[in-house]
Amino acid sequence: MAEKLKEQESIPVSKVQRAAKFISTGAKVGGNYVKHYAKKIVDPKLEKEALHESNARDIYSSLSELKGSALKVAQMMSMDKNLLPRAYQDQFTMAQYSAPPLSYPLVVKTFQQNLKKTPDQIFDTFTRSAVNAASIGQVHQATKEGKLLAVKIQYPGVANSVSSDLKLVRPFALRLLNMNERELDHYMAEVEERLLEETDYILEVGRSREISEACSHIPHLNFPKYYDQWSGDRIITMDWIKGKHIKEWLETNPTQKEKNKIGQALWDFYDHQVHHLKQVHADPHPGNFIVQDDGNLGIIDFGCVKIIPEDFYQGYFALIKKDMLLNEDELNQVFYDLEFISDKDSPDEREFYKGAFREMISLLGKPFHSDRFDFADNRFFDQIFELGDRISNDKMFKKSRQARGSRHGLYINRTYFGLYNLLNQLEAEIDTTKPQWLQ
Amino acid sequence: METQTARKTTKKDPRKKIIESYISHVLEHGSEPKSIFKFTQEMKMKEGDFYSYFTSFEGIKSAIWSQILDETLSQLKEQEVYPEYSSREKFLGFLFTWIEVLKNHRSFLLALYQKQSSRLGMIPTELKAFRKEFLEYSSEILKEGEESQEITKRPILSDRYGEALWVQVLFVFKYWMEDQSPRFEKTDAAIEKSVNLAFDLMGQSALDRFLDFAKFLYQNK
Repeated sequence: MAEKLKEQESIPVSKVQRAAKFISTGAKVGGNYVKHYAKKIVDPKLEKEALHESNARDIYSSLSELKGSALKVAQMMSMDKNLLPRAYQDQFTMAQYSAPPLSYPLVVKTFQQNLKKTPDQIFDTFTRSAVNAASIGQVHQATKEGKLLAVKIQYPGVANSVSSDLKLVRPFALRLLNMNERELDHYMAEVEERLLEETDYILEVGRSREISEACSHIPHLNFPKYYDQWSGDRIITMDWIKGKHIKEWLETNPTQKEKNKIGQALWDFYDHQVHHLKQVHADPHPGNFIVQDDGNLGIIDFGCVKIIPEDFYQGYFALIKKDMLLNEDELNQVFYDLEFISDKDSPDEREFYKGAFREMISLLGKPFHSDRFDFADNRFFDQIFELGDRISNDKMFKKSRQARGSRHGLYINRTYFGLYNLLNQLEAEIDTTKPQWLQ
Repeated sequence: METQTARKTTKKDPRKKIIESYISHVLEHGSEPKSIFKFTQEMKMKEGDFYSYFTSFEGIKSAIWSQILDETLSQLKEQEVYPEYSSREKFLGFLFTWIEVLKNHRSFLLALYQKQSSRLGMIPTELKAFRKEFLEYSSEILKEGEESQEITKRPILSDRYGEALWVQVLFVFKYWMEDQSPRFEKTDAAIEKSVNLAFDLMGQSALDRFLDFAKFLYQNK
């Protein structure tokens, strides 16, 4: 019997055991590098892609066992296409589809704790097993008085494991993203803050409602209604959005016009949030968008919302503007404010970083520079990858004694790359509307 | 005798009263009373009368554990979905409900058991009755599981499944006592994971296929 007990305790629950899990992956990844270079001696043409692929597989398989925030980080990395080689992305995008579900008794318990009733007492029907898994929860389908509802339930203990999970991810992020430690710590604080917010379901309901009301005038968008009486700390009940995920929808061969329409709705949605609301749905993950049968775009999951501080907004978009009207001094000030350069830099360093960041931002701002932009154009994306690759391998960046770039930029960049990437998948050509001052 | 009948008419039965006084003593003093004599004096009862209900403090504790179990089972059976549950879900439901009931007695249980939680293997005598009742309950679950083929019958091992679930109950109890997370969320996660593992092990697995294959090779070589 003692043996049996040991087995039960061997589930990676404690931090030490989770760490062990990561370490074993670390060893594997290290091994992959060794193998790669060994093969390379024999076959110098061997692509780095192959190495990335085997790394991604090993990392993914250990991350998927961990669930919770580690999975979230994996997803996030999968979004940051500018930073991540393609091979990693494919593995990571799988991450969201495969967390082991909560048992029904635990669902019942969560209901009793949050709403003092069981699902059967509240709803007319309630699916016993989850119909969808999210990184920090799962979704059940329910009906009440003929209405179809989605009920999202959070895994227990997620909020508590955020910080320790992030610490565990650190060594991997260092290696994968090619960041130096200072830079990483700088970002990790921001990531931790967002992740903790994401575990707060009450906040999520509030924000969902706020943003969906503020965006209700945009054509071809549809938001679910949220139900307070059936929501709590760990439960959110909202309308079920019927339709297809973007990938599935594309398989039905929609016309270019339809694709443009969906793409335009997406662009307008983000345009309004960034420039008018100054807070943005910072999770442009394909799973959060559903194309409905009537051709409208349903938007779900406002777990990750980034509030854009005014001074960051001014500086960031001043750089994106096509003809920068800034003189050298003003430009320096903007770079200063966005923390791209600092007093500690030598003049040479300053010039170098300024150049690099200017290139990066003007590339990111390219769709803003014309009235209409064709996102089907892969050359634009290749340029982004190429630049990301060059920067992450640059010696100057690796040596940098300090973090570069404001932490706010992390989620804004992620949002834009995510949006561009979605539009690229849609092959949409759209009117890139922008506020007057950016014209 | 006179006092007893008087109490009976004015108040609840003495057995219940003894249990309640015992619990409040432990809560207030952080330990059990020094002796039965002192305890009965405190609650203004004749020591002789005490023995007609319990013969030791172990007896009282044992009764408390049984009470917790009864409460758990009756709460479980109130849930409409309970009869539809698979064996795995029934056991999960049992543990989740049990932990909820335990929560109402947490301070009492911590006062008594926190210090000895490291010696989990040693089952205190007062748990024997609880264990017996639990084994009866778990044998129902297991039987159902075997019928629905959720659990695989294996020679020798099958007889020990109930014991294995019992060890799991102790594990959860120990884990819960040390759990510091809000709402004991970590205990929830521990229950979920450990029960899934246990039922996966009891279900048809690669090991069975392997043994079957090994047997085949042995018999036919």
